[in-house]
Amino acid sequence: MSTTVKTGPAIPAGPVRGLSLRRPLGDRAFALLALAAGLVVLVILVLIAVTMTQQSTSWFSSEGWSGVFSTDWDPAHGKLGAMAFVYGTVITSIIAIAISFPVSVGVALLLTEVVPRRVAQPIVYVIDLLAVVPSVVWGLWGFLILVPWLQTIYAHIASAVNGIWILGNLFGFLNGNYVSGASFFTCGLILAIMITPIVTSLSREVIATVPATDKEGAYALGATRWEMIRGSVWPHSQTGIVGATLLGLGRAMGETIAAALVIGSSPTITSHLFTPGYSMPSVIANQFGESSGVFRAALIGMGVLLFLLTIIVNLVARAVVERNARRMRGTA
Amino acid sequence: MQFRGRKHVVAVGGVVAAAVALAACSSSSPSSSSASGTINASGSSFQNTFQQAAISAFKSVDSGITVNYASVGSGTGRSNLAAGTVLMAGSDSPIPSSDLSTFKGKTVLYFPVVIGPISLAYNLPGIATLKLSPTVIAKIFQGQITTWNDPAITALNPGVTLPSTAITTAVRSDSSGTTQNFTLFLQNAAPSVWTLGSSSTIKWPSTARAGAQNGGVASIVKSTSGAIGYVDYTDAVASGLKSAEVQNKAGDFVAPTAAAASTDAADATIASNLTFEAAWASSNAAAYPVTYQSWDLVYAKQPNANDATILKAYLGYLLGAGQKLLPALYYAPLPSGLDQKAVAQLSQITG
Amino acid sequence: MAVTTQQSVDLREPSGWRRAKNQIVTGGMWFAFLCMLVPLGFVLVTVIAKGASTISWQFLTNGTIPPNILPASIGGMGAAVVGTLVITGLASVIAIPLGILGAIYISEYGTNNPLAAFISFLADVMTGVPSIVMGLFIFTIWVLHYGYSGLAGAFALACLMLPIVIRSAYEMLRLVPNELREASYALGATKSRVTLTVVLPAAIGGIVSGALLAVARAAGETAPLLFTILTVESTNANVFSGANTALSTQIFVNATQPYVGAQDRAWGSALTLIAIAFILMIAARLTTARFTRYSR
Repeated sequence: MSTTVKTGPAIPAGPVRGLSLRRPLGDRAFALLALAAGLVVLVILVLIAVTMTQQSTSWFSSEGWSGVFSTDWDPAHGKLGAMAFVYGTVITSIIAIAISFPVSVGVALLLTEVVPRRVAQPIVYVIDLLAVVPSVVWGLWGFLILVPWLQTIYAHIASAVNGIWILGNLFGFLNGNYVSGASFFTCGLILAIMITPIVTSLSREVIATVPATDKEGAYALGATRWEMIRGSVWPHSQTGIVGATLLGLGRAMGETIAAALVIGSSPTITSHLFTPGYSMPSVIANQFGESSGVFRAALIGMGVLLFLLTIIVNLVARAVVERNARRMRGTA
Repeated sequence: MQFRGRKHVVAVGGVVAAAVALAACSSSSPSSSSASGTINASGSSFQNTFQQAAISAFKSVDSGITVNYASVGSGTGRSNLAAGTVLMAGSDSPIPSSDLSTFKGKTVLYFPVVIGPISLAYNLPGIATLKLSPTVIAKIFQGQITTWNDPAITALNPGVTLPSTAITTAVRSDSSGTTQNFTLFLQNAAPSVWTLGSSSTIKWPSTARAGAQNGGVASIVKSTSGAIGYVDYTDAVASGLKSAEVQNKAGDFVAPTAAAASTDAADATIASNLTFEAAWASSNAAAYPVTYQSWDLVYAKQPNANDATILKAYLGYLLGAGQKLLPALYYAPLPSGLDQKAVAQLSQITG
Repeated sequence: MAVTTQQSVDLREPSGWRRAKNQIVTGGMWFAFLCMLVPLGFVLVTVIAKGASTISWQFLTNGTIPPNILPASIGGMGAAVVGTLVITGLASVIAIPLGILGAIYISEYGTNNPLAAFISFLADVMTGVPSIVMGLFIFTIWVLHYGYSGLAGAFALACLMLPIVIRSAYEMLRLVPNELREASYALGATKSRVTLTVVLPAAIGGIVSGALLAVARAAGETAPLLFTILTVESTNANVFSGANTALSTQIFVNATQPYVGAQDRAWGSALTLIAIAFILMIAARLTTARFTRYSR
């Protein structure tokens, strides 16, 4: 005789909580906490933009758009045109990038391609040390030591190139025999020293994403190290390195204290790099103390312009780096 | 960058320490040693050296009151007072009319606390005395006179052979009450020549070299042969710089000293709220015309009685025993008439 | 049978000009490193030479900053040291947890989440905001209403540190292998449990070292503090109320004084500040070396 044993559903051994679709309270609370932390960033940026624009409206309204970007800066007579400072910010940042780019890429390549692990460690320490020196110390050293020393060097260079076609315009005398240690070029130099560690570490990360197969393939074909770098590393990482440089540019544009002490504080627009100039963060740092009324609104307004400028630079840098990353993922 | 005044400054420091001790011991003002609190003050950097010495000495007079003075500039000092973030503001000039509305109609009392000369510091090796007139100074800083042996300068200095070195003007890169009062002097003394206006920031000619704070200007003058710059007298002395003699209203050439500055300020027209312009004020033959002043501003009506008490105590010290600290610091004490009026105004602080 | 002998070709060495180019480029890279080393050495030698004679126990601890006129042997910068420590400490307490949570949001809750991608982009933008803008911002919204205080300074520094901590923590979290997360989910853990007990401990070494570097950067910043703490002369250990001072702002203020005493104090403070920053950097490197489980 066959008996069919009806088997019911499995009876669990102990109490069971049904798998509910709702997440436990603690989990949801944590997710909210994380979201709130992320939103703090958004809130801060929005607040910065709003409050600073609010404080500077009297400048925009009294000068109008043409006045804001005019080259005439004479607070004693109510003229508050910011062009000279925008020019100075752009020029010193370009000088900073021009000096820092080859140095950073060189050291990044040194660390990734040339030196063995053991030697890389102390080099990384040097980069970290450079990054950690406070900006006010760079300013102090720049102002008290570098500026007088560079003054004599500039005078020699200027007298050597004066009158030569492009070089004379860049490095020659402006009026008479006048060059100054505190000038566009010195400011660019100090900025370069300060942004080199960032650009180096970011470039290092970018170069590290180059697939080893490409590099080994180049070596297998008999390439020298330089040929391998030019053929395998550079095409993969060029956009990433450019993006890293642009991020360094963003930092250079905003650096305040060191720049304020060595730029020379003279709002002039000129191609002669060995003459004193001015930049947006420097003028804010120098002049805020005594300012009031529309003058103060103008300085805060320049802070707003600076903010916008660095946002644009960071946007571009991010887009460039993203494009590189996307290409890398595509070819992986 | 070594300032040659090292030994000099140590000597000054020693004198200050002694003066501070002396002032503390000989303080006869009835100190309200039962009052305590903190006074936060900020403003003029011109007052800074004096305030630091006074704060240090005041501790022995009334140890319960802590005073903090931050040298952030007269403009920020005034705006801090308007916002209520400090009790006292140091300012080298009265509140501009455009800013009055930020004080919301509350009465602000001006207490003049210090007078000081602005030195025309120059670097010309071998030239022991240099005489300049306001017109010549105006033209130098406007870039119209460019060499030291210009006829306008040699005419003022008979018997002195001036070199043909180019003149380098040293000015402030940061906005400053010193700049404001120096240009006020030029505006008052050479109105037909001076065109750059009077303000804490001036659009100097592009040949001017800018330095941060008095120290920056002093270091430019010190390191550049043929340089001339305007520096607070205290800082010019500390840097070991020579000062030019300036022609005053009476036609005499006077060197910057504390006494000459006080003489000049004594003839200034004092308004009822104790504001005045010391620059180019006096026709006295011994007056040094490039002199300026600084006030401490407080609200007449204080938020509470304790604030009124501690402010009266500290301001009373600054106007009384504190004035004795000034000569050693190369400032000038207030003329006695002005000092008395200021002390009388103390009673208007209520809490 | 004929044996063909071949000329032995040395396949290792490239021909003359190629080798030369290679050597020039390698030389160029070492030269670039030298370019980095020179200013660093220059600055360190200067600061140590000028500041070492000023440093003493009294310099580091004396509670009242003396008048500029007095030489460096009188008084000390203890007030500024205390100020730097408490303000940077408070800023770290604000910024580090917030930054780590923000990074957790972007990394753990960020897949297919446009808001998280946007926040990640904003964090990058925030790293580029000039420090003086942060200072002016806090001045406008906090100082004008509540006065100068160490708290305001800490807020400004925290605004500066936040994006740096978010970025570095995010990079570390990204490196944790997904298998760890999947295994935890398979065991029935909730997302918060996975993050807190598995992912975070795996990345903690890198996160801590990134945070320490952010603290080192904040300790050296001047511009955010210029507008928020008022740089006074007496020690104020109460970071929440009352104006304060810090080493960085004191250096800035002293550097342009003509008095030798003030300048000596500036160099001594610079040396102290560099020492603090270096200690933090070395701590960061040691943390990385000992505790990082996953690195590139």
